[in-house]
Amino acid sequence: MEIGSFIKLQRVKKGMTQEELAEGIVSMSYLSKIENLRAEASPEVVSMLCTRLGIDLDGDQTITIKEKCEEWFNMLFDASDKNEMIDKYNELNELLAVVRSDSLMLFEIHKIRYFLILGEFDNALEQINSLNELSGNFDNLQMYYWYKFKGNYATTSNEYNQSLRMYNLAEGKISYLNLPDSEIADLYYVISVTHSTLLHTLEAIEYADKAIEIFQKEYNFLRCAQCHIILGISYRRIKMYQKAIKHYNLARHLGELNKNNNVIQLTNQNLGYLYAVMGESKQAIKYYLQAIDDDSVGINERLIAITNLIKEYYKLQNFDKALEIIEQAKVILSQARNSVFYDLYYYIIHSYIHAINGDYEKFTTLVTEDLIPYLKKHKDHANLILFSKMLAKHFEDVGRYKDSVKYYKLANLTFEEVVNL
Amino acid sequence: MKKMIASVALGVILMGGFLFLQENQQSDLVHGGEAHPPIFQKATSFSVNL
Repeated sequence: MEIGSFIKLQRVKKGMTQEELAEGIVSMSYLSKIENLRAEASPEVVSMLCTRLGIDLDGDQTITIKEKCEEWFNMLFDASDKNEMIDKYNELNELLAVVRSDSLMLFEIHKIRYFLILGEFDNALEQINSLNELSGNFDNLQMYYWYKFKGNYATTSNEYNQSLRMYNLAEGKISYLNLPDSEIADLYYVISVTHSTLLHTLEAIEYADKAIEIFQKEYNFLRCAQCHIILGISYRRIKMYQKAIKHYNLARHLGELNKNNNVIQLTNQNLGYLYAVMGESKQAIKYYLQAIDDDSVGINERLIAITNLIKEYYKLQNFDKALEIIEQAKVILSQARNSVFYDLYYYIIHSYIHAINGDYEKFTTLVTEDLIPYLKKHKDHANLILFSKMLAKHFEDVGRYKDSVKYYKLANLTFEEVVNL
Repeated sequence: MKKMIASVALGVILMGGFLFLQENQQSDLVHGGEAHPPIFQKATSFSVNL
C-alpha cells in the first residue's frame, strides 16, 4: 500500500481534516498531492505525519499482521465461530490503528463482509461510504474484494441487478490476480445464486457448473450440495424435472454426509415445490412437512415452506388441515416481524384465512388492495398468477363477471410476462 | 411568464424521468416457492438468514 493512500486512510479514519494534519509540517496542497500519489514525501515528512496520526512506522510486525489478517479473512469466508471471529477483529482493529501495514486497506475492505455476516447492515454501508473516496487508489486485489463485498451488500438489500453488476466487475479482475481456486469458486457460486434469483436460468446453470467443478476438486461437499440445489431449481424451471430431482437427491446425499441440516431441509423445501408444480400434492406435502418441522431452518425458508403447504391443502380442499397449518404459520410469522418479507407472508396467510372462513369481503379487500399491489411492485409473478386466478374464480362464483375477467386477464398477462422472461 | 411556465414544465418532466428511473432500478424478484442457498456460510454459534 502506497504511503500516500495509507496517510489518507488513517486521516479519514481519525476524522482529521487535511488542514489539521498538515499544520506546521507541510502545506495543505502538498499534503493533498501526497495523499493522491502525485508527490512523494521525504522520510522526515512521512515520519512527522505518522507521529501526528499516532502511527508506529516500525515494520517488524508487518509479517505477523499479514498472517493474522489472512487468518481473519479466512474466517469470513468459511463457517466459523462467531466469538473467535469478533475477538480476532478487535485485536486486528486495535493493532492496525497504530501500526503501518500493507494489509490495512484489505482489512478495511473485509470489514464490509464482516459487518454483513454479523447482520450489521448500517455499519457495512457506512464502511462502504467511508472507503468510496479511497477506492480510486485500490490495486487489483483490493478492487476485486471491493466489488465482491459491495455485491454482497446489494444482495442483502435485495438489489440483485446491482449485485450482479458488482460480481461481474469482480469477475473481470480474476485474470489479473492469483486468487485461490476456492475464492474463484465462491464468486462463481454467488453469481449463480444471483442469476437464479433474477430468473436467468441458463446463466445460473453455467456458473453453478463452473463452481461445482472447483468445489469437487477440493472435496468441498457442502458447497457442492449448495450448487446442486441451484441446479435443481434451474432444471425445474425449464421443466427438466427428472434432472432437477437428480440434483436435489445429490444435494440431500451430500447434506447427510456432512450432517448439515440446512442443506437437507432446503432440499426438502425445493422438492416440495417441484412436486407441487408437477401436480403431485401428496408428495409435495410430505416434503414441506419435513421442512417446517425443523427449528434449525431459517425463518424465511420456513415461511416459504409453510405458506406453500397451506396452498397445497387449500388446493386439495382439505380446509381443516389448512387451518391447522395456518395456526403454526402465525407463530412463525410472529418471529419474523423484522423480515423484509413479513408483509408478503402476512397478506398470504390472511388471504387464506378469509377464503377458508368464507369471509369474502375481507378476502377481496385484502387481495385487491394489499396483496396484488405488493406482488406487482415486487414482480412476484408466481404468486401474482396464483392469487389473481383465485380472486377471479371467486368473482366468477358470485356472478361478478366483469371483475372476474379483469383478474383472469391479469393472470394471463403475468403468465405471458414469465414466459417471455 | 412563458419562461417560467417552460421551466416549471421542464422541472416536471425531469422529475418524472427521475421517478421512472428509480422505479425501474428495482430488481426483478420472484419469491415463488423455491428457496436458494445462502451467499454466506453460517457461523457456528449464530445464524444469518439471507
